[in-house]
Amino acid sequence: MTIERRTVVRAVLVFVVAALAVTLFSAMTAQGATVSDSAVSSDISMTTTTVDIDPPDDAASEPAPTSYSGSNRFLQSIVNGLVFGLLLALASVGLSLIYGTTGLSNFAHGEQVSFGAVLTYFFATQQPVSLPMIPVSFVIGMPLVPAALLAIAVAGALGWVQDRYLWSRLRKRRVGLVQQMIVSIGLSLAILNFIQWWVGGRRLRLTPDIDPRYQLGPVYLGEQTLISTGIAIACLLGVGFFLTQTRRGRATRAVSDNPSLAAASGIKVDSIVRLVWVMAASLAAVGGILLALYENGTAFDAGARLLLLMFAAVTLGGLGHPFGALVGSMVIGLVTEVSTVWLAPDLKYAVALGILILVLLVRPQGILGRAERVG
Amino acid sequence: MDIFIDALGETFAPTTAAFALAAIGLNFHYGMTGLLNMGHAGFMLLGMYGFAISTQRGAPIWLALIVAMVVAVLFGLLLGWPTLKLRGDYLAIVTIAAAEMIRFLGRSQSLQGLTGASTGIRGNDYKYTFEALSPFPDERITVGWFTYHGTLSSSWWLRVVAWVMVLAFALLFWRLSKSPWGRVLKGIREDEDAVRSLGKNVYWYKMQALVLGGVIGALGGILWALGNAVQPDSMGRPTTFWIWTLLLLGGAATVFGPVLGSVLFWTSLVVVKRVAGVLVPDSWMTQSELEPFSLVLVGITLMCLVVFRPQGILGDRREQAINV
Repeated sequence: MTIERRTVVRAVLVFVVAALAVTLFSAMTAQGATVSDSAVSSDISMTTTTVDIDPPDDAASEPAPTSYSGSNRFLQSIVNGLVFGLLLALASVGLSLIYGTTGLSNFAHGEQVSFGAVLTYFFATQQPVSLPMIPVSFVIGMPLVPAALLAIAVAGALGWVQDRYLWSRLRKRRVGLVQQMIVSIGLSLAILNFIQWWVGGRRLRLTPDIDPRYQLGPVYLGEQTLISTGIAIACLLGVGFFLTQTRRGRATRAVSDNPSLAAASGIKVDSIVRLVWVMAASLAAVGGILLALYENGTAFDAGARLLLLMFAAVTLGGLGHPFGALVGSMVIGLVTEVSTVWLAPDLKYAVALGILILVLLVRPQGILGRAERVG
Repeated sequence: MDIFIDALGETFAPTTAAFALAAIGLNFHYGMTGLLNMGHAGFMLLGMYGFAISTQRGAPIWLALIVAMVVAVLFGLLLGWPTLKLRGDYLAIVTIAAAEMIRFLGRSQSLQGLTGASTGIRGNDYKYTFEALSPFPDERITVGWFTYHGTLSSSWWLRVVAWVMVLAFALLFWRLSKSPWGRVLKGIREDEDAVRSLGKNVYWYKMQALVLGGVIGALGGILWALGNAVQPDSMGRPTTFWIWTLLLLGGAATVFGPVLGSVLFWTSLVVVKRVAGVLVPDSWMTQSELEPFSLVLVGITLMCLVVFRPQGILGDRREQAINV
């Protein structure tokens, strides 16, 4: 691989600008450190109805600053970043698979994430719930695990329905990819507001349990976080096994490589795409549920807030490259969490998006992508 | 009758004009050049920040306008620089990411002194230079069914200025789309390689379109802020998606498409909310649920438009065949 000199110059320039910006920010933050800290916490509790709420107050990332020395805080943020990256990877693998097999940048993927989490809340909560337009409220109150499994199944079914009745028809009509992308934006707007209509704008807790926290060496981890991480790793290993070891997985990668060639060699492209949609939707739901546990709650816009991080992760790793999504997610997870050591926590998403733009400058095909994917 | 008057009032409200102007900007991007700018709200937000913050620091109105436009130009250059050479959907992802970054920065506590963080900037802090120019009396004026203040905030003065600006920029769009420059942009939309083979610098033309549309978007943002307040969260992704919906509704690449789209969009939102409020009993849908319900309809409208009538109401189907 050859890197042009102009690219390097550009990268250096951007790095300098970014470094200047960071210095400026930390200087400003240091000035009003005590003021802004208290203001941040009040800000979090204040904004509940806005569409995009600031970074959630996850229990693990807000330790009492007095009991922590600098390096511990750093280590803790690395661990948090790895956990967050794993959960983000679960959500974004599907996005990458869909992009790979159909070429669609699915802006409605964030809503699949919130749908899974909200559906779990709907099945599991002890509060009375209701459906839109139906003036009856009732309590389902299933235990968390069956509720989650049911929610994942329903979300997967939604993926199937979406592909069967929307996307496969658009592909048959030969609607262009740009137009399909705008359709997905419309769909995301519709589902997002439907969920808000359904459960309202408040924060929803999947389980009333208080999460016991363990100390592992210098870092703290919650029990739910540990279990979530385990599930996430298992799911990702499962996806990896499916893609590399099974016949259908290899067919998926073949479609992702070159759909017409795959079709010519006897692979049923449509059924593979259908399978990918179901997988993507259910993985997104798993990611949504685990993130809701990790962040101690969810909301109608939980997925919408994640969508750009998922895009950043997928683009970073290489569009359409499923393992790239994993790599990209880990990078994004680490960057967002570690940046809170120096910057205000309400800037961590901005940092992740900055990294995305930076990488596109230097290596537009992403970390694992191949150069010819870019037009 | 009330519903009718409310809907009619919405047709020439400042918000409608602001979105029409922003959509004219997006029309330069998408309609003329085929650029997928998914971060138009970012341009609007930057425009209103530039205007409000420089006014707060004591700048006269012309200087504040120039600051807002310069900021938008810089943002456009910065966005276009890495992405205009890449395939279209990269521009989409980067613009949406950059617009969200602006919003995150604007609502960050670190910049409280400058942007007012998530509470934004109060209208009274920056509207006075604009209101001082008003030739209308400083009282409420009734014309026909409509009573608005002459000068303050969402006033007759703002309505007049906003619609004059919308017409002026529609005229600009019409002239430019007939000019040699506009023909090159349309050529880029249809077939980039063909235009490149004619010796045109495609990258630079795209950059010009991006910057020009962005500046118009910033002016739209200023109009919006003059009727409301500077509020970073009101310029999130949904705003961009609304602008897209109304542009596609009216018809991309047409002169009056953005204006018609904006009028129809805002009027029908009011009508849907009011009619649903009257017809649907409260036990089925409370007042607070009307907003998401009408936005569900917006999303579905956007989907149906793209699939069934990509040219919108006024457009020409042959003009909307762009692809990446």
